[in-house]
Amino acid sequence: MIILNKVISFYYREYKLNLSGFQDILTNIIFFFVSIFIFIFSIGPDKETISSIGIGIVWTLLLLSSTLSLRKFYQDDFENGNLLIMHLNGLSFGLIAILKTFSHFIFVQMPFLFSIPIACILLNIANHDLIYLFSSFVIGSFILSCLGSISSSMNLMNKRNFLLGSIIVMIFSVPIIIFSVGIVNLEENFNSLISILFGILLIVFAINPWASGLCIRLSLENN
Amino acid sequence: MILVKDLSIERSNKKIFENVNLSVGSGKIILLKGKNGSGKTTLLKAILNLIEPSSGAIYWKGKLLKKNLYNFFNHVTYIADKTSSLSKLSVQENINIWKKIFLSNISNSQVDNILKTLKLNTYLNQNVNSLSFGEIKKLEFLRLIIENKKIWILDEPFSNLDDESIHIIGQTFEDHRSKEGSIIFSSHQESEINVSEKVLL
Repeated sequence: MIILNKVISFYYREYKLNLSGFQDILTNIIFFFVSIFIFIFSIGPDKETISSIGIGIVWTLLLLSSTLSLRKFYQDDFENGNLLIMHLNGLSFGLIAILKTFSHFIFVQMPFLFSIPIACILLNIANHDLIYLFSSFVIGSFILSCLGSISSSMNLMNKRNFLLGSIIVMIFSVPIIIFSVGIVNLEENFNSLISILFGILLIVFAINPWASGLCIRLSLENN
Repeated sequence: MILVKDLSIERSNKKIFENVNLSVGSGKIILLKGKNGSGKTTLLKAILNLIEPSSGAIYWKGKLLKKNLYNFFNHVTYIADKTSSLSKLSVQENINIWKKIFLSNISNSQVDNILKTLKLNTYLNQNVNSLSFGEIKKLEFLRLIIENKKIWILDEPFSNLDDESIHIIGQTFEDHRSKEGSIIFSSHQESEINVSEKVLL
């Protein structure tokens, strides 16, 4: 019961923090839409071309937008000592990683869920593809949050090169992009592809607390 | 309660300190004194199980600390050389968050009294990033009281504080000691605190 109360208060704190930093979330969404417009202007007015590569564009930009927020994942709480305080308050480093990942998913990734329908209109993506895009996004974005947690915790030990973490996320995101785009483009294989994506989610979700927890611990030790 | 026995720490093949012995019981205030780089923070981190000692051991209530870690965490709180308050939020919002996170049953009137003592009561609705560093540091002590733990571990608690604030913190220490609480703090400067034991590093 005590641990449940601590988890609830953890999310109360995350909610307050994200509310005060709402402009960061808004910046991510603005980046997403500005990039879509740049793609549209660079490809030209051919509706067929835009429509055929639209899903790929959406997924690429979702990936890039979510990497923008990675710096905030652990860095602030690490620098002001809150990661340690949370640990001393009875939350293991692994549990902190899991809670932070859910927080990133809820407060950073979920606002994109409301942006996707508008992006679909701009990129001339068919309405019936929207449900496939939503389902692949919910699973894919959670995988990105898990990968973001691992790379951000690694970055705590590497203060000189923040981009390295983003590159790691992008490399490991390739299979997610392949299967997520495949879900929309190959509707007849929806079940098998979503199962593979779900399998990847289970693997990264299992690795995340161990890897992130260890990196947080090592960075606090060496700080 | 806490027993540090023959503790030595080595990092990157460099000895930080060796054979440190320390016993922290109820109502004791322990000062770790030493120059910059003498290993004060390292010792505090070792007590918090963040650093693996090269040799020696730390015990909590007679058991190895590692085997009794979360029980130890139920009784300990830590103030680092940085401030944990959330800078974008107001003082009041920070207090609300701490009360929820630490499941504290401290009353609003108690918080008001402490804020008055620390001379922070007029800043309640101001964002933390508009306060001076000394004021933010004083806010950290409010967190200690909200947490209501028996053992306080503090790293350089008096840095950036004026004499009056140091005096107030000293009184807070005495108050905590009178309630059978224990304090371990590091400092490289002289203070008026009446310590039970000084450990030179």
